[in-house]
Amino acid sequence: MPEKRAQRVFEVAGGGFGGKLMVTRSTGRAVREALEEALVELPKGGVLYVDTRGVELMDYSFADEALGILASRGASGEYGDRHVVLVEEDRDLLENVEASLRQRSLAMIRVDELGGEPAIVGEVPDHLVATLQAIYDAGSITNAALAAKLGLNHTACNNRATRLAKLGLIHRHIETAAPGGRQYSYERIV
Amino acid sequence: MSGVLTMGSLDPAFSAATRVDGEPIVLDLRSVEFVEPAGLCGLAALLEYLIPRCEEVNLALAGRDVPAYLERMNFFRLFGGRVRTNADVASLEERRRHNPGTLQELINFHTEPEIPGIIERISEILENQGYRLKERVAICSVLSEVCANAAEHGASSFGAYAAVQAYHHIVSGPRRRGEEVLVAIADGGVGVRETLSRNTEYAEHTTTDNDALRLALEMGVSGTGEIGRGGGLALVAQIAARAGGSLSLRSGTGRVTVYENRKNSRNVPQFPGTFVRVSLPRIPSQEKSSK
Repeated sequence: MPEKRAQRVFEVAGGGFGGKLMVTRSTGRAVREALEEALVELPKGGVLYVDTRGVELMDYSFADEALGILASRGASGEYGDRHVVLVEEDRDLLENVEASLRQRSLAMIRVDELGGEPAIVGEVPDHLVATLQAIYDAGSITNAALAAKLGLNHTACNNRATRLAKLGLIHRHIETAAPGGRQYSYERIV
Repeated sequence: MSGVLTMGSLDPAFSAATRVDGEPIVLDLRSVEFVEPAGLCGLAALLEYLIPRCEEVNLALAGRDVPAYLERMNFFRLFGGRVRTNADVASLEERRRHNPGTLQELINFHTEPEIPGIIERISEILENQGYRLKERVAICSVLSEVCANAAEHGASSFGAYAAVQAYHHIVSGPRRRGEEVLVAIADGGVGVRETLSRNTEYAEHTTTDNDALRLALEMGVSGTGEIGRGGGLALVAQIAARAGGSLSLRSGTGRVTVYENRKNSRNVPQFPGTFVRVSLPRIPSQEKSSK
């Protein structure tokens, strides 16, 4: 089972930024800065739920500045081992988030509500989708077990999972195995 | 000048404006019977170009409807002190203003932080008109992206002008049943070609204004080349086309119009800045199926 993680919920519409109408890069920048502040306050391994359900309108510029750049910085390791999950239903508002993340070749985990089933928004390369699905199905899995499940050699499997971890879609950690040995294991983040 | 004041009908005036050299001029709009937001913003941009170059600008208007509409759209509040007109503006200003809840008056803005207020106002108008959330989102996304482009790339002495009108029939092309929202935004900045030319990657694709406009409508194309930039206009065109409407982008001597299944380019008289007109129709389903 995946370990229990620290989490915090950030309600975008309740933050005094633009209420239900989230438009322009300057508003997006203000929201991103608040999200970054909340994110780095979390302990390592923590998850920030970005709840946009109270927002009626989000234009592309806002979505890219607030969430696209946040995902991009997360993927470059700027926030350490901390994750962002979007809390949003499957509705038109997602279109601009999707467009921004695809433009950046990035993705985010999305849930309809806290505790809901995870889905993907953005772009996950085809060859990584099965790996991601297997990790989420298992909840927590070692590289060896994942490689066996997918019919991959250990190195290829580790490369794929490392890429998913860099995208912020899974949690990856090292376990000490038999004397001198170590192995990677992967966990879903929600 | 034709009966409808729109983006294209001001072409002869834009063409003549480049030859103005300080003398007083008369802008003859007496044949105009109907003004749409693109005509209003185009007129505002034209006047901003002419006023510093002329001793005096006279605006000739006929009848009462067009002056009344211009007054209702705040045109005289913005330009009354800078142009002369034969219209009796004082009597128009004394009238009690009817607020049909279908329009955003001509508004002048300079910076991005002014945009959310404009969007909020439009969203309210659309909600009052019974537009569903999904439609409001599409329209407001269009407007905010285009306004943001104008504020960001404009570098314009007068900032940008925007106007919006919701109609209870289709006004683009032959009049027919349905509803239509027209959005127009004009800025007096450097234009699309110069903005994109800053990105050396596009040197070969910005030889003409029309080349640059077509490029600007592609996803991910921007003057800075930053990832994530240059998505707004492409998405606006998609939204408009999906609704059965269009997006016209004009800058320099180019004009590109994007429809659902085609993209038209043509050469036009020089426009000093960038101009965007978006048509978002709501056509009744029986009208669509009979087309």
